[in-house]
Amino acid sequence: MLNKFQKIYTMSMRRGGGGGGNGGGGGSTTPPAGGRTFSYQAAPTSVGVSMMGNLTMADGASLRTWYFGSGFNGDRALAGPVFEANEGSNVQITLSSMMPHSIHFHGLDVDQANDGVPSTSGYVGRSMGGGGFGRVGNATSLGNSYTYTFTAPHAGTYMYHCHVDTSLHFEMGMYGTVIIRPANGDSNVAWAGGPAFDKEYIWQMGAFDSSWHGSRVSGAQTARYRPDYFMINGSDGANASNDSTVAISAGAGQKVLIRVNGTSYMPGIVRLGGLQFEVIASDGRPLAVPYVTTEQLCCAGERYDLLVTMPSSGQYTASIEYRDIRNGKALGTVTTTLTVV
Amino acid sequence: MQRREFLKSSLAGSAAFALSGLTVLNSKRAHAATSNIELSAEGTYKTMVDGTSVYVWQFNDANGSGPGALTSGIVVNEGDVVNVTVTNNLDRAINFVIPGVMANTPSVSPGSSQTYSFTAPAAGSYFYTDGVNGEIGKAMGLSGPLVVMPADGSDRLYTGGPAFNRQYTLVLNELDDRLNAAVAAGGTYNMDDYEPNYYFANGLSYPDTAGDGDTLVSMNVGENVAIRFINTGCITYPQHFHGYHVNVISRNRVLETRVIEKDTTQVERDMCTDVILPVAQAGAYPLHTHYVPGVTANGVYVYPYGGALIVMVAA
Repeated sequence: MLNKFQKIYTMSMRRGGGGGGNGGGGGSTTPPAGGRTFSYQAAPTSVGVSMMGNLTMADGASLRTWYFGSGFNGDRALAGPVFEANEGSNVQITLSSMMPHSIHFHGLDVDQANDGVPSTSGYVGRSMGGGGFGRVGNATSLGNSYTYTFTAPHAGTYMYHCHVDTSLHFEMGMYGTVIIRPANGDSNVAWAGGPAFDKEYIWQMGAFDSSWHGSRVSGAQTARYRPDYFMINGSDGANASNDSTVAISAGAGQKVLIRVNGTSYMPGIVRLGGLQFEVIASDGRPLAVPYVTTEQLCCAGERYDLLVTMPSSGQYTASIEYRDIRNGKALGTVTTTLTVV
Repeated sequence: MQRREFLKSSLAGSAAFALSGLTVLNSKRAHAATSNIELSAEGTYKTMVDGTSVYVWQFNDANGSGPGALTSGIVVNEGDVVNVTVTNNLDRAINFVIPGVMANTPSVSPGSSQTYSFTAPAAGSYFYTDGVNGEIGKAMGLSGPLVVMPADGSDRLYTGGPAFNRQYTLVLNELDDRLNAAVAAGGTYNMDDYEPNYYFANGLSYPDTAGDGDTLVSMNVGENVAIRFINTGCITYPQHFHGYHVNVISRNRVLETRVIEKDTTQVERDMCTDVILPVAQAGAYPLHTHYVPGVTANGVYVYPYGGALIVMVAA
């Protein structure tokens, strides 16, 4: 099964599935010095899929990931490239894959044809007979390449993810963030007429059940979900403080926008080491009444935009505490640093 | 199916009321009434979407149960006097409580009946459940929706609140079949070990949700559609709308004032979240929990989803 699977994947890459990929797949296994950075993609753009990612956790464990990428050499093995577009613009993003995948533009309220749901909108790639990794039932194949087209909605923070066998494909890492900028392209205001900021971070929540991340995963193994790794942007433990996309660093008095993306199945409480911050938007819309707090719960699928003014000096321990969706009990916490430079 | 057709036709002329298994007693009227409702608590085997048979508890009304494992719902008008007579056909004592309305009620022993009376509270979404057996009662399915419409019979979520063109009530719950098996065998279950593997909207899993006229959300572009999420389960449901943002109106009858426009809204345990969906575009879109294991059946996809996935269709 794995050999066949691997073969098809490699074939898809040779046919240009990776949007300029190197043909081999496989994400980087260790963060390069200075931390991994996101690939920012302005529309129109194209991505492929790697199903051979390896994410190295702080304890040394190597977990299999699947992820969207634009080249795979230097791509992160978890969380795909950041798609950026200006409000009101026409966006085109091409997904190429021989394996069954799709992109659902979560929260962007695109039309049905571009919604990325196999049963209502079709999928990219071809079906694997007899079920398995990419079972898509009676859904329509859109071919091995499909260009999703939509008009960029209100400026804000959105999500994208694969919607084929979502429970598994999402957990394996097939998700990322969409940032819609104001119509004029300003990259330092949250929306036209909205709050200004000096620097921004994207915090993509993540909790892995490592038993789902072996080289082979089947439905019978995914009946129950017991996460044991807790991350931001794919970095857990000490890695989260060494990851420059996670650890916050800005000057005294600067305003930092943190786009929290609910890309874990379990909810989490975001704290900035006791610092107060303003919650200005959620799900790509300004709040009716913004509020100031020291902690914000973010559930699966939600996004919250947090605006913090850096204090005069010092280093703080910021964190996301993941909670059990059943009983609210703490499952695990990932910490990083917030440093005034 | 006949019963559902009857419930719908009985409301001809008012906004379509959408919930299977409801004892529909309200109609447009400006005076309070007395509603007498008979429920029986039953243990029964239900067939899951993958063919597995699971022992559940449910409240049936005089017409029988709703679809799937959904127990009977109650719809009344604010100010109505409601008398609910519960006959307990289970093997242990239960009672009938409505969080936020009525607690610590007398229990009813196996084989006996007990009448619970209350005045229908402020218009909004509620649920009733058993208060004797703790979480086990809920996990086994002893709960049902209670919808209170404004006293003036208007199509609004609360008196003077936002009007809607049609409304859907979507009861969210789930089960861990190991718990059900333990209870069926006369034992009990530690809720710390509760890990659900079947998920429901109105007692149904996809694709049955799309085949049920009261769970398939049918609407027209330009309408405002009220959706009442009623979480009678034991986990949080972060409900994500494809295709639309909605306006969150209230959470357990408390008006939301800060975080209103959402594509994903939390429906915590014991929570009733009411939203208005302005139908901005045509098409077919899913509505589902973003705790995505909740769209599987025992970890497996069926046609090609399972679980509590709901389909919305806008013409």
